[in-house]
Order: sequence, then structure tokens, then C-alpha cells
Amino acid sequence: MAPAIRGRSSSRREEIRSCPLLCATAIVRPSPLKQRSDCAPLRRRRPIQVSLSLNGQLRILDCQPGETLLGALRRAGLWSVKHGCETGECGACAVLIDGALMPTCVLLAGQAAGRQVVTLECLAPGQSLHPLQQAFIEVGAIQCGYCSPAMILAAQALLAGNPRPSESDVREALSGVLCRCTGYKKPIEAVLRAAAALRGEPVPPIGGGGVPFEAVFGHGRDGGRTPADLAAPGGGPSGIRTRPIVAFPVTRMSPQPETDVVGHREPKVDAVKLAKGRAVFAGDVELPGMLHAALLTSPHAHARIRHIDASRARALPGVHAVLTHQDIPRVVYASGGQSFPNPPPYDQVSLDNKVRYAGDRVAVVAAETPEIAREALGLIDVGYEPLPAVFDPLQAMQPGAPRIHDEPDAVEILDANRNLVAQVHASVGDLERGLAESDRIFERRYYSQQVQQASIEPHVVITYWDEDDRLVVRTSTQVPFHVRRMLAPLLGLPVKRIRVIKPRIGGGFGGKQEMLIEDLCGHLTLATGRPVRFEYTREMEFTSARSRHPQWITYRAGVQADGTLNALEMCIVEDCGAYGTHGLTVCSVSGLRGLSTYRCPNMRLHADIVYTNKPVPGAFRGYGAPQALWALESLVDEVAAEMGFDPVEFRLRNAVRAGDPLALAKALGEGREGFEQIIQSCGLPDCAAQGAAAIGWDRRADPGWRRDPARPHLRRGLGMAVCMHGTAIAGLDMGAASIKMNDDGSFNLLVGATDLGTGSDTVLAQIAAETLGCLLADVVTYSSDTDLTPFDTGAYASSTTYISGGAVMKAAEQVREKIFARVALMLGVSGSAQQPSAAGMYLRNRSVWLPDGRSVSLEAVALHSLHTFDQEQIMATASHMSYHSPPPFAAQFAEVEVDTETGQVTVTRLVMAVDCGTAINPQTVEGQVEGGLVQALGYAVSEEMAYDQAGCLLTRRFGDYRVFQADEAPELQAILAPSYEPSGPFGAKAVAEIPMDGVAPAVANAVFDAVGVRLRSLPLTPEKVWLALKQAAVG
Amino acid sequence: MGEALAQLSEHAPQGNPLAGGTNLVVEMRVGRHQGKSMVDLGRLKELRGIQAQNGHIVIGGGTTVSELLKHPLIADHAVPLCQSAAVFANPLIRNRATVAGNLVDASPAADLAPPLLALGAEVELVSREHTRWVSLDEFMVGVRKTLIQPDELMRSIRWSKPPKRSAGAFYKVGLRKADAISVLSAAVMVACDTSGRCKLARIALGALAPRPLRAYEAEDVLQGQPLQAEGIAEAARLAAEAARPISDIRGTAEYRKRVTEVIVRRLLVQASEALEHP
Ligand SMILES: Cc1cc2nc3c(=O)[nH]c(=O)nc-3n(C[C@H](O)[C@H](O)[C@H](O)COP(=O)(O)OP(=O)(O)OC[C@H]3O[C@@H](n4cnc5c(N)ncnc54)[C@H](O)[C@@H]3O)c2cc1C
Repeated sequence: MAPAIRGRSSSRREEIRSCPLLCATAIVRPSPLKQRSDCAPLRRRRPIQVSLSLNGQLRILDCQPGETLLGALRRAGLWSVKHGCETGECGACAVLIDGALMPTCVLLAGQAAGRQVVTLECLAPGQSLHPLQQAFIEVGAIQCGYCSPAMILAAQALLAGNPRPSESDVREALSGVLCRCTGYKKPIEAVLRAAAALRGEPVPPIGGGGVPFEAVFGHGRDGGRTPADLAAPGGGPSGIRTRPIVAFPVTRMSPQPETDVVGHREPKVDAVKLAKGRAVFAGDVELPGMLHAALLTSPHAHARIRHIDASRARALPGVHAVLTHQDIPRVVYASGGQSFPNPPPYDQVSLDNKVRYAGDRVAVVAAETPEIAREALGLIDVGYEPLPAVFDPLQAMQPGAPRIHDEPDAVEILDANRNLVAQVHASVGDLERGLAESDRIFERRYYSQQVQQASIEPHVVITYWDEDDRLVVRTSTQVPFHVRRMLAPLLGLPVKRIRVIKPRIGGGFGGKQEMLIEDLCGHLTLATGRPVRFEYTREMEFTSARSRHPQWITYRAGVQADGTLNALEMCIVEDCGAYGTHGLTVCSVSGLRGLSTYRCPNMRLHADIVYTNKPVPGAFRGYGAPQALWALESLVDEVAAEMGFDPVEFRLRNAVRAGDPLALAKALGEGREGFEQIIQSCGLPDCAAQGAAAIGWDRRADPGWRRDPARPHLRRGLGMAVCMHGTAIAGLDMGAASIKMNDDGSFNLLVGATDLGTGSDTVLAQIAAETLGCLLADVVTYSSDTDLTPFDTGAYASSTTYISGGAVMKAAEQVREKIFARVALMLGVSGSAQQPSAAGMYLRNRSVWLPDGRSVSLEAVALHSLHTFDQEQIMATASHMSYHSPPPFAAQFAEVEVDTETGQVTVTRLVMAVDCGTAINPQTVEGQVEGGLVQALGYAVSEEMAYDQAGCLLTRRFGDYRVFQADEAPELQAILAPSYEPSGPFGAKAVAEIPMDGVAPAVANAVFDAVGVRLRSLPLTPEKVWLALKQAAVG
Repeated sequence: MGEALAQLSEHAPQGNPLAGGTNLVVEMRVGRHQGKSMVDLGRLKELRGIQAQNGHIVIGGGTTVSELLKHPLIADHAVPLCQSAAVFANPLIRNRATVAGNLVDASPAADLAPPLLALGAEVELVSREHTRWVSLDEFMVGVRKTLIQPDELMRSIRWSKPPKRSAGAFYKVGLRKADAISVLSAAVMVACDTSGRCKLARIALGALAPRPLRAYEAEDVLQGQPLQAEGIAEAARLAAEAARPISDIRGTAEYRKRVTEVIVRRLLVQASEALEHP
């Protein structure tokens, strides 16, 4: 048989049959070629036709030679197949080919000819759900949903051959699909659950038997009620719930006697469309005439562009625009997605005549296909004058170091001659006296490395003119409103002519709290008049997106003999990379977190934020806190060990507690002065106690447990860290919500808040539903569209539940008052129309109840208000901000095995007990915790951006940049130990970032516990541990 | 097959056999192989199949790593290969990656090479004109360099069934189970006579030199000796000597050498224990 792809030339079948070659590049002709001649034009590439069975139907796909199956399938409208990388390493693009799961990004379309290709689209017809999809939704296995199609297909392939898989079978089967959100725990649960359902076994209801009550809510908090009592179906007076649910024990803590929606494990409101792989992400649309952008980046770490000539690129057929610094206005800006005015410095322009890191922007192209756009990049002639570069911030501050920002128009750089972006100073008490008066002084230096957010969805944006000549920006962002404001001056358009839409997005973790590529895409639409799609490759995510700031932190601590902390000094050198975005504010948070977790009368902070010729750090989940707590929680462990205190007791003795002021909160605001903070809720002791019990902390005293007779080279150890984070930026973050009532008594909820997969749309809808006495399903949420939803600062600083949730609650309360007034009107309840709620009305079970037992349904209220009498739209808009930033608390515990011969650290268990106030949705809270733990574990042991001598990034793909896979992730346990935060909606505070904070020190402390060596540099690679062991043996 | 070979010789050196594509397509996308034409081997039955033949196990070059994992002949007669396949890439790539693709690509870190070296494998190269068998050890010449000619295909790979009283093992450090260091891998095969003396020892190392290699001197110290701690330790030390690793972002050469010693020792201990308690 013919060995070749069964492809057919669109025009000339016969020829292709006899010439069964697939061409790697431009030309399908078998003759040896010199390609990249002046122009290897589009029309010389003959498209090939690939016939295959696609979801059970015979299809013929027109493909470019060399096109991957991924590209061909997406062009064919199979949007569930996702682009996450180009190297077969993330699995987001997986489909089933002849029943086996395969990555389509490393498969030529032609290789699928004649095969049976199955994508998620055909798993369950129409609106129905396959048991796998059902299970993924029920257990909360879907966060951003970007990897869900591949996960579900992987599970499907597993179950087809193994209906009774073990947990490790499932881990193995999912191991080819990277997930950055869930930590894999819930996806694994979902697959096991679906397997049971498919075998016809009964599956426990979620919340009933699914999660042990004790583990979720802690011991003895339920006033003696058993999980079974709480799981009784019904809940409310109506018995409308179709499945049992665990009632949340807010009874004793909140003024709300009992909640129907808040505190329940509600499935995410966007889960169904994500489980079905519908076209809901920013890149999942094809617009007529859409062009594709490609970015030329600098190969040099530091160079001046002496000349740049794009004429050959412009001449390439299919190219519609090439923009260099000569073609667009020079407008100085700061790219961080932050409130107006953005914190300084303003040191960027969209395209410059100088490049400051390898990966920096040089020119951008729009062309008819991605392939042509890439080809055009090679035709841009750039004359670089390489300049000396500096990669170490300490060297960068020295006299004579290369000056990275020598442009005259940069604004508010502290000292460009010394590459100093900014400095931060703050103090309380008298540090030197405090140190002098302390019994023991400890000085330690810690390093934390540069890591990448690595959301599986790369940055992607589509821009186009709408029918009113307004620019629509459909983008994968955490900050749609900031993007709109920041884009306007760069594009020379007023804010009113820009509409930013954030559809579903495939994770962000701070990487998308940045106006990263929207400006270039917008410029291309301005230049061409056409829709343009601009999508980063995975490599560009690493080289040319954002990351976490590396920091060197030196602590000096003065401690009294009784274990009281008396003085604490923190000196930070922060590597800010080539641009200052987020540099100052991240460092301020490091200082705040590093100096407020423990009570201490004398403290001082000094921080230098320094430019280097490296890719630019920015916002990354934790935002300065992981660096600070890595150092602080290592230090505290060292102090406790050396002074002979129990590490948990020592921490709790010194930790802040309710009623304490946060000494430095006023000094360290968001690039400006902040606001005084007093802690109003603190569940830290509870977290420590529950976490210690869960991990088996007392095994530290058992020498037998530390060793494994079968593996004599292993030692086990336990370590912990406590963490305190913030909730929103005090006095700065603001969110708004609109609610309107519909004919059937349902509501539209419009929020500016940005759900990046965390479930905030769901949590906000729960707050609305609870307040309005309806079901979650009665609240239709639409978010993040600058035309249609009110303002919100965006998804960052762990703010959404607290700030946007506060806005939703206010809006819902106003709507509630209007509903009561309407009922008073309807029933002629005299005298109470002005103050209806005082008349004792309340909302529950989709009805308004009066004290005398009468009720009116919400539908009746809606029809009356819209159609019957004195007509009005019942609606309200409210916004919320807060001068408080109430800290969530947590205790994180790690169990490790250390191979004393190789230095390999294997983390076998992670436990996190967290006080996030009331958990509006315990399931999404667990999801945040579990996913955060695994992301933080990568920071602790395996992830690091590494460079060569010339400053070129070496870790450019997932194979080199180690994100944990399903089969590598340790056992995880999330424990909710709620306090009640009086300033938050239903007592809630934040949870999103705190999981990142303490894992690295907990692991390092566990390594110390296991083998007695201290590591002060992240990540804890085997070689570092091995070296430390070797030195300890010698010395 | 014939047609594929014809095309290869016709287009040599511009023709390029394409098997799973997991190396080739990735490289294409970064711009290598421009102008080359791909000859798809995906459908060639001649390259598939796993069989026992005249005391040999013979596998087609197009055998995927997943197929290795599933086949009882591999589980029974190629334990190190089976162990290597189990930690190869991820399940998606395993469904595509082929044995010949791995060997012809000849990365220093090619994971199937050490176990096949330990098994003493040979590879079959065929062109329109000829067929030849080459020992795998000779086949791999240097970094991405092999003896294969542009007009040749690797049709199959074979090795003698390991004798009774033999045992083998493979271990890979790095890139799996979140090991944060570079790949280094080792495979061992040992066989003993009835008196417990070692009559066959093969030790192969991956990612520790420009090409996967055999540690012959280490093997020699085991020959004719009972497999005991001292001899094993010495063999492990010599294996580490044979390693010529580089220092890179993921580990220094010194560290890699030391870990090589540890891993080879553990593998030999594991194999000797398997011999004692079969
Ligand atoms: C995400 C990812 C993870 C990976 N992980 C690993 C890993 O853990 N360990 C590892 O060793 N490798 C790994 N690889 C590399 C690769 O998957 C393997 O080397 C694989 O075995 C290559 O097989 P293939 O069929 O895909 O080869 P192809 O890419 O199709 O071909 C590779 C080379 O072999 C040639 N070739 C293929 N078949 C023949 C034949 N029959 N005759 C002659 N020449 C032939 C091709 O012309 C080409 O030069 C990984 C790759 C990816 C993308």
C-alpha cells in the first residue's frame, strides 16, 4: 500500500498519489529547494486535502502543507481542541485517534488521513452530559476549563480499556495533560466517580458522603450535628433542592441564621459549557477576514536598533502590515494592570528603538495565515548594535554598570544611572536598639528564583472594528477595565471608542494582570482595518510574558531568651528585569507580608528594586508574599530550632492575632500610602492545630517513622509554615454589580469582576441568590465586558469575593428592598411601603414571606412590577470598596522523603488548613487550595527560569520548565478552618493567593527535619540538597 | 515499504522518514528540516509487530512505546525496556513515539537506547539494495549521529532472549515524578550460572555522554564473580568513571557522575536480588 499520507491535491489528485510526500515547509514539491528566497509566496504552497473520519463523519480538511492537526481541527470549528504549547508537552490539544489519546500539536494534519479522530464535541450529543462530564462538574474538577476537554478525553480513553481503574491508573492516564488550576485532586476524583457511575454503582451525593464533614469544617464546630443530619435533603422550607447538600455551619458565627446557597458546594455556573468544550475562550472565534499577528523579538539581551527595514516583509504576499518603532507613535506607559494612576515607573513604549532583554519586542506583523506572519518575521532586516548587558541586580547597581534605561522620556525611575527602579523604606520602633536589647541575634540570607505563571492558555487577543467604528478587544485578561483605560492613549482612541470583552479565560495567576499584547494587536487592526488575532506561543510565554520577581532577602532578627521576637529587619534586593512593571508594588507586598505576620515592636524594611537585562517579572499569584514568607518562615524555623523551641508553638507565640494592628500597612500601600489595618478575624491557631493533626505532626518524635528499612537511603521529615495574606488592596480596589429582575422572577447579574477560572462568577451569583432568596440557577451571570457591565478593578489581590462580592450583596439588598416595596404595594400592607423590610418580610424559596405566613412568589412580583401597575424595572447597581484588607490565615504542612545519596526531595503529602472567613463555596475554596499547593510546590522544588551567559532563556518549553503532572502531584488535603470576617460578605475574606505562600518554606523545613541541612536557595533541587549533605558530612 | 524506500532513495538526502513525528514535527516547527519532504511511515505494516523468532525477540521499527508496554513478550524478555517505556514521556507521546524514531534520532538522552544496549540489541537497516544488521552500540556514533544512510529505513530491532537466571532493571533520574534534575538513565542486565557466578553483565548509560554507551570496564569486574556488595560497588564506581557528563543548568558533571554511581549500584543490587528471589 502507499506509504504516504492519503492526501489529495485539491486540483491534481493523480499527482499527489504518485508523489506521496508531505512537505515540511513551504513547498510540497519533492525537488530539493532553496526556500526563503525573496519570497516563498502563499500561492506557491498548494493546499492539501486530508480526508478522515471526524467525530464519526467523513470529512475532508483543506490544510496547508506542514500544518498541524491542531490548526486544522480548530479551523474546522472543533474549538474544544486547545492550543497550549507546540511541543506535545501540555496535552491541551489531545484528541483520540483510532481510540488512543494523542497530541495534535506535534502531528501533521496529513498524518491523520484515513484515521478516526474523535474530539470532545462528540462525547455527548446536544445538551446532554456524558457521565464523565457530569462528574467533572459535580466534584468541581473544572476550574478554568482550558485543559478539561483533554482531561475528559484522557479519562474516556482510560475507561474504555479499564472500567475499574485505581487512583494511580487515573493519575497515569491524566499525566499527559497539564493542569495549572486544580492540583489534579478533583479531576482524579471525578474520573473515579464517573467510572463507578458507568459501572452502574451508586455514587455518593456531593457533600453527603463525598467529603468528610469534619475535614471540611473542622472538629466540633457543628454543635453536635452529624454530617448525615446536615446532608438531609431539602434544606430550605420548600424542599426544592434535588440533591442533598451540606449546610454550612454559619449558624453560630454569622448573623444569618442559616444559608441556602452560600456555604454550599454549588457547581460552577460556567461548568457545563466548559465540560462540553464549547467555544467560550478568547481565541475560539473565527471572524471574516481575520489576520494573524506574529511578533519579532530580540535575540540580544541589550541592544540598540540602528536600522530596521521591513520592506521585504511587507512585500510578501499575504502580509497586510508590519509595524516597527518607526510606524507607531511613541507613548510612554507602564504595562501593569493597576488602578489609575499606575504606580511608577513609566518606562515602556509599544515598540522602541532599543531592546532590553532577549525576548523584547522589535516588530509585529499581521498576515493572512500564521505561517505567512511567521515567515514575514524572517524578512525584517534589523541592524542591532549590541550593548553590554547586566543580569545580576547587585552588579546592576554598581557604578559603571550598563545603563538599561537611558531613554530621555521615561518617567519616575528612581535612579536610572544605577538601574534603580525604586526603593522602599519603612520602619516602626527602633530597630538598632531592639537588636541591641535582644538576647540572640540571627542573620540569614535567602534567595528565591524566577518562575512563570504558565497558565495553560497562552495570552491571546482578538481586535476588530465593530459596526459603530469602535474597537472591540476580545482578550484573555484579568483586568478588562484597566486594559481599556491603558490602551486608549497608546492607540490614540478615547476610552469611549474601546470595548474590552473578557470571555472565559484559561488561567491567569497574575500573568494576565498586564496589558501585555492588546496594544500591538490594536495597532494592527488600526493599520489594516481588519480583525486581527494575536496569540503567544508557549515559548513566548516563557521569553516574552511575565514571571515572578527573584529576590534576595536578608533578615536580622533579635529574639529574647523566652522566645519573644524583639527586633526584625528585612533587606530586599529585587530583580525587576528590563521594565519596572509591578516591581515597586510587589516589593511593597513582600515587605508588608515579611514584617506583619509576627508581632514585633522594632522593625525596619529596606528594599532595592533593580533593573536587569532579563525577561520582565510582573504579577504572579502571591505577589511578593511567597518570596517574603519563604525567607521569613525559613528564618523562624531556624530560630526555633536553634533556641530549642517547638516550631509550631514558637510561631503561635509570636504570630499576630485578632485585635492587633498591622504595623506597616499604612506605610506600604499600592505604590502610595496605604491605610491602617487592625485584624478583626484570625483563625490561625485553629489552622495550626488542625493541620498538625492532619499531617501527623507528632510523628516527628518517632525515629522509626523517619526511616524505611526497605530503602535505607531515605529519611522522612515534616515541616510547616504559617501564612498571612491580604484581601484586596485597601482603599483602592473597587467592584460594581448590577442586578435586574426578569418576568419569571429570575435575575440578571452583571459584574465587572473577572472570573479567570477561579469560580468568581459562581461565588458572586451565590451571594446574589442567597440575598434574593432564589436558586443559584435563577441568577444569570454575565461578567467582564466594559460596555455591558459596571466597573471592577479586576481579578487580582485576592479581591473578588470580598470587594465584588460586597458590591453584589449591596445591589442584591437594594433589589430586595424594592421587591419588598412592591409586595407591600401588591398586598396593600399599609404604612409599610416606605420601610417594607421593617414589616418583617423576608425572601426565601423564590418567594417573599410575610410575618403572618403569607407569601408572594418572585414571579408574581416581577410580573406585577413589569406589567401590571405603577410599572418599574426592579433593579439596582451598587459598588463596593473597603479600607480594610482583612488577612486570611493558613498553616501549611509538608511531608517529605529525602534520598540521602542523590539529594532527591520527594514531597509525599501537603496539608493546608486555611481561615478564609466564610467559604461562600467550599468546593471552589478547596479547588483554590489544592491547585495553589501544587503550583507552590513547583516553586519549591522544580520550577526555575534559567539563562545562558548571554541572558537567553534556556527553559523555553514545558519539558525544561517542570510543572507538576498528575502522576507526580503529592497527596493533598485542604482543611477549612473558618473565622467570621465582619467586613466581608457573609463573613468571607480571601483564599486565592495564600496557598502559594508557605509551601516552599514548609518543604525546606521538612528537609531540615529529615536530614538536618538548611537550604536557603530555591528551588530545592537534588543537587543543592546533595551538596548541602556533603558539606554537612565534611564539616 | 518498497515505495517508501524508492522515495527515500529518489529524494536522498532531502527525503525524511516520518514515523510518530514527535521529534520531527517539533523540530520542523522551530524551522529545522526546511525544504525537506516527509515520507510517512505511519501505515507501513512491515514496521510493526513484536515476535519471538529463533531465540530472538524481534520488534518492528514502527513499534510505539505504548505497544512495548502492552506486550507480554516485552514484559517477559525485556524487563529494562519495559521499565523504560513506562516512564517514557507521557501517555500521549507514548502512543505516537516509535522505537526506530528514538534510536535514529540518537539523542544522547534517548530513553530506549540504554535498555536496548543492556539487552545487546541489533538493528536492521534496509534500503532498496540491501539489508544489514548492526549492533546498536555501533549504530549510535555521536550526538544525533548514526550509521543510517539517507536511503535506509530501520525495519526492526532484535535481541536474544535473556537466558534463565537473568535479571535486568532500568532507572531514569529526572523529568519524571518531579525530579528536578537532568535526565540521566541507566540499564543493567545480569545473568548467573547455577553456582551464582555472573556469566553476563551489561551496563548501559544514557544522557551521560554524547551518545548512550556501555560501561564495559564496569561489566568486566562483574564477570565470573558472585554478585555481591563489593563487586557491585566497584562496578558502579567504574560505570561512573565511564560517564562523561556535561554541566548544564540542571546539574553539574560532578553531581551526575556521583548519581550515576548510586543508580548503577542500586540497579545491580535490585537485579541481584531478583536473581535470588525470582
Ligand atoms: C513531549 C515529548 C516528550 C518526549 N519524551 C521523551 C522521553 O521521555 N524519552 C525519550 O527518549 N524521548 C522523548 N521524546 C522524544 C521522542 O518522542 C522520541 O525520541 C520518539 O521515540 C521518536 O519517535 P517518533 O516515531 O516520533 O520519531 P520521528 O519524529 O517520526 O522521527 C525521529 C527521527 O527518526 C527517523 N526515523 C523514524 N523512524 C524511522 C525508521 N523506521 N527508519 C529510519 N529513520 C526513522 C526520522 O526520520 C527522524 O529523523 C519526547 C518528545 C516529546 C515531544
